[in-house]
Amino acid sequence: MQAFKYFIATDARHAVALLAQHAPARLLAGGTDLLPELKASLHTSKTVIDISRVSDMHKIELSERGLSIGALVTHSEIMAAPVICDMFPALVSAAHSIGAVQTRNLGTLGGNLVTAVPSVDSGPTLIALDALVTIAGATGLRQMPLADFFIAPRKTALKPDELLVEVLIPKENLNKPAHFLKFGLRKGQALALVNAAASLWLDPKKNTCTAVRIALGAVAPTVIRAVSAEKFLEGRSATPKNFSEAARLAVEDTHPISDMRASAGYRKDLVAVLVKRALEAACAQAKAAQDNTGKRK
Amino acid sequence: MINISFTLNGEKRSASVPPETTLLKMLRESLNLTGAKLGCDVGDCGACTVIVDGKAVNSCLMLACQVEGRDVLTIEGLATPDHLHPIQEAFENSAALQCGFCGPGVILSAKALLDANPNPDVAEIRDALAGNLCRCTGYTKMISAVQTAACTLNGKPAEHSA
Repeated sequence: MQAFKYFIATDARHAVALLAQHAPARLLAGGTDLLPELKASLHTSKTVIDISRVSDMHKIELSERGLSIGALVTHSEIMAAPVICDMFPALVSAAHSIGAVQTRNLGTLGGNLVTAVPSVDSGPTLIALDALVTIAGATGLRQMPLADFFIAPRKTALKPDELLVEVLIPKENLNKPAHFLKFGLRKGQALALVNAAASLWLDPKKNTCTAVRIALGAVAPTVIRAVSAEKFLEGRSATPKNFSEAARLAVEDTHPISDMRASAGYRKDLVAVLVKRALEAACAQAKAAQDNTGKRK
Repeated sequence: MINISFTLNGEKRSASVPPETTLLKMLRESLNLTGAKLGCDVGDCGACTVIVDGKAVNSCLMLACQVEGRDVLTIEGLATPDHLHPIQEAFENSAALQCGFCGPGVILSAKALLDANPNPDVAEIRDALAGNLCRCTGYTKMISAVQTAACTLNGKPAEHSA
């Protein structure tokens, strides 16, 4: 690995100050992407700012604002967090689908998101839950929808002196039924050919879907929402026929490429299957939650 | 150079290395512990797996300075000159390793698993070993060895054979 200057940030504010002072610098969190890049000398940057011990970006916290997940929370910590297992099993599935144990123990949610690769496994579920990201910079904090954070492959809305500090699932979406699916060539250590997440609320009396969100990865330059499929399903009943039609419409929302992993046509076929299954699973989760509430009454 | 103090296989150790030194490189080249292997060097193969604060990690993906104040366990910390660790014993008895290059990593992944989950099922064992690539023995005997080791560590007779 080429030599670099190394600074350790103690908290987010310190990290921002170091960034301002040493830009362009690279941030080290889990290191699972950065170290291979530094070894391959892909970056000319000669400065690394280690944020892995930053004290105020490690929390998973339920508050008035919703569920806040610090950018430095690792994939393993997401899988083990009772509040996430309870409210958002889809986030647990997404975290579990990344890499293998060793990389999940190191890799962080924020690190995964800032890679902004089209197949980013943390992306679809969070976008399907309308997650926001909090960004720290010299002028303070700013917040934006995660969907707008991804700009192009490997490009985010972060400016060189900014830092992703938190992901927030807004309070209106706490416990929102959601499901994540990933199709890769293997279960472990594989990039997604396609990944998909769906979330919805189910009206218990009318059996209709509302606030439908369908987010897809690896089928466009960034994670996208299948907007025409969402619109079709909004207010319609949760039936296999409607889910099939939504899945068909979702395919039309995608623009996959052919590469060494899969052809565009194969990816489109996968979209139809994964969207239908994700919708069915989210719907089943909604029904199970309603049954539980019924029993409690 | 950066000075690092940490616990290595139960003993306080310190080292002085340039910041771009990976944990793996420090272990192998500064501390002469060559049990953790340099395989792919990008976190795919798991040959460099060590346990840091109870968790299996790729030592090729950590900078040495990131273990400041932390607890590191390498394969050298498992056995004594007289006794193999029960996981190592199970691997030997099951002939779960041929060339052995992936062995230290696999065994440490298994240890981290069994420390956290003393009675894993096969799916859990496979998941725990998914980050360790073996190119000669295959995984069947390893999984069986982990099951045997789990029984031994729980004080039960082994239920599985290779």
